[in-house]
Amino acid sequence: MTPKHTSKYIFIIMGLLILFMVYLQFSIDESTENLKKEEIKKSEQYAEKIAKYIKAEADGSLLPYLEKHTEERETLNKILHTFLTEQFQYIFLLHKDQKGHYRFLLDGSLEDPVEYNTIFFPKSKRFNSVYSTQEPQIIKQNEGVEQIWLSLLYPIVEQGQTQALLVIDLSQSHAEHLSSFNSPVMQLVRWMQLFLVISFFFLLYISYSFYKLRKSILVDPVTSTYTKVYLQEFFDTREVNQYNAMLIDIDELRRVNTKYGHKSGDTVLKIFAKEVSILLPKKSYLVRGKGSEFFVIVAKESANLEELAKKVFKRLTQKHYLIDNETISLTLSMSAIVTPTETDSLFDVQRSLDEKLFEIKSRGKNGLGIIGNVSGDELKYKNLDYIKEALDEERLVCLYQPIVNTKTKEIVKYEALVRLIDKGDPGKLISPYYFLDIIKGTTQYIKMSRLVLQEVFTALDKHPNINISVNLDLDDLYNAEMMSVIVKKLSRYKGIADRLTFEILENKEIKDYEEVAVIFQQLKTFGSKIAMDDFGSGYASYAYLIKLDIDILKIDGTLTQELLHSPERTKMMLTSINDLAEKFQYEVVAEFVSSKEIYDMVSQLGIEYSQGYYLGEPKPLDP
Amino acid sequence: MRKIFILLILLYGHLYALERESTLKMYHQIFSALVAKPMINVYTDDKEYRKVFATSKRMLLSAEPEKSDIILITNKSALFKIMREKQWAVKEDKKPIFFVTDYRLLKNSFDIVGAFYWRKGRSQLLFIKNRLKAYNITLPSEYEDFLVDEL
Repeated sequence: MTPKHTSKYIFIIMGLLILFMVYLQFSIDESTENLKKEEIKKSEQYAEKIAKYIKAEADGSLLPYLEKHTEERETLNKILHTFLTEQFQYIFLLHKDQKGHYRFLLDGSLEDPVEYNTIFFPKSKRFNSVYSTQEPQIIKQNEGVEQIWLSLLYPIVEQGQTQALLVIDLSQSHAEHLSSFNSPVMQLVRWMQLFLVISFFFLLYISYSFYKLRKSILVDPVTSTYTKVYLQEFFDTREVNQYNAMLIDIDELRRVNTKYGHKSGDTVLKIFAKEVSILLPKKSYLVRGKGSEFFVIVAKESANLEELAKKVFKRLTQKHYLIDNETISLTLSMSAIVTPTETDSLFDVQRSLDEKLFEIKSRGKNGLGIIGNVSGDELKYKNLDYIKEALDEERLVCLYQPIVNTKTKEIVKYEALVRLIDKGDPGKLISPYYFLDIIKGTTQYIKMSRLVLQEVFTALDKHPNINISVNLDLDDLYNAEMMSVIVKKLSRYKGIADRLTFEILENKEIKDYEEVAVIFQQLKTFGSKIAMDDFGSGYASYAYLIKLDIDILKIDGTLTQELLHSPERTKMMLTSINDLAEKFQYEVVAEFVSSKEIYDMVSQLGIEYSQGYYLGEPKPLDP
Repeated sequence: MRKIFILLILLYGHLYALERESTLKMYHQIFSALVAKPMINVYTDDKEYRKVFATSKRMLLSAEPEKSDIILITNKSALFKIMREKQWAVKEDKKPIFFVTDYRLLKNSFDIVGAFYWRKGRSQLLFIKNRLKAYNITLPSEYEDFLVDEL
């Protein structure tokens, strides 16, 4: 669960709790109301009984009876008084006179008794309504009435005529008493509601603070563009390959800062960022990197990247900035990449852009470089961290390509070719094209060589009848650490070192032949052979044949391939090399023999050994 | 804490003022029906009522009963005292008018034209027709329901 979701769930829980509290309050209110209804029902029953009793006493002539019998009136008053409890505030009997005024017939109050026939002004017109309809009613008292919660009006009817109204006033204190039954629970609920409401607002406050904090993290304070943190979050929920990217760096911002001050530098950055934002299409995001660097992501469907990059570069380099009454313009170094469909790593995209930007800066800045048709594998594997991880985890394997006797096609040797294994797909092997140049000169290269040698020696140990050659860079021979690794391995596997050939790849001119000769001698001491790889191309020169003690010449594959395009001239060239090697008593191997046509020509030329896809693909020794 | 204390005092003061205002408003409405004057002179010897009337802008608290338009009586001893000292009699100009806050007081003097009192938890307003007539007072129609011929 992400923090974002956590806060959402907390809000939902809080909301549900508040709803529950409201429901609880509603339930308690309902329960109190039911209690009150019960009390009212009981009161109605009381009123009915009292009315019946009075009617029975009066024996069908209530008004004359009460007028004439003072003592009986007093007795009835006392009887009414007995009903006065905490529940009933007042009980009295009213009669409406001919002029429509109500007058007291009976009053149950002893403390403040009202005399017979005293006038009374009820505060409700419902008294008249009950008088005329002869239907009992309950009225809620309002303004001008004190201490009374409800009044029960019960008509006393004789021979179809309303003679009087029995009024029973239920006390306000009794209503409060009824409410108090649930008051402890209600109190608790109210405290909980208060707590929840306070918590809710506190949560809102925290959320707001969090929002402000997040904004300060996600938005650059100087340019109001996004920060790299935003970029990371952005791609947490989106596919990297749906966006193309650009990296823009202002070449000489430091010069602006130095000359005009950092405040002016910030102003330039602000204007610059605004200008970039204007130039970008919809679904584009501008992110400020370190210093004067800006990273742009653009949804693929929004714009053609190449056109956009060129437009942005042109407009930004043409823009002028007014600082301290001086107009300046800026140069930019900019790289852009059409993100390959199979890429899912933002880091790979950024690294490619960085590399391209570095290349532009190395060429003298102020330029635009667009990375067009780059494969996803290229972005993924051309990554030092990825390679380092693979080597740390020893995700490395050697494939062995056979070198055969040209005449008999009998395998005489295998060339070990290194491959890394893909992290997610163990069946996918990564060609050295992706990683060799990146790790050269680093400790990772030594690590890789050690692993390769280990595997090769293990293979030689396991298969006593085979020979294997491994590639070594000329630079490796100059590297003391590398040589130490090789010599240690050769010392450890003395018995089988004579079945090992070192193929020396030369990519620069040898300046000190004596030093190289000593190293070759050191390797040959263990019985190993030295092959000169890619002979006939690049720096490989005939001088090697004179000055170095080598055993095998491997003719460069590009020369062999030329047999298809310029057969006559190539044949002459290869015949010359072969004759020379024969005289020096070197073995000769033709590389890149990829078709029968080439094989036939190589065979015809009498080159002793051949290697290539036609004769055997690189594959594991143990299938 | 101090702010809360001040707030409570203000709240209490406000509630007290509301009650006082409603009392004044009610009495001004009743007295206006009896006396057609923009500023009505009222006399009462009840301390609580004096405090309330002292704050009125439309009723003037009178120090002498004979110079007032209305005398408000709240108890029997006050009524007797005024009657005894001044020997009031209903004359042509019929001033001042007596008004009471107790139903029973109505029976003690024919000079009392009406009362405002509480009965069975209900406020009661009552005017006696004949006595009003003696003062030549005609009440507005909205007081029709509160007019009685006799007690």
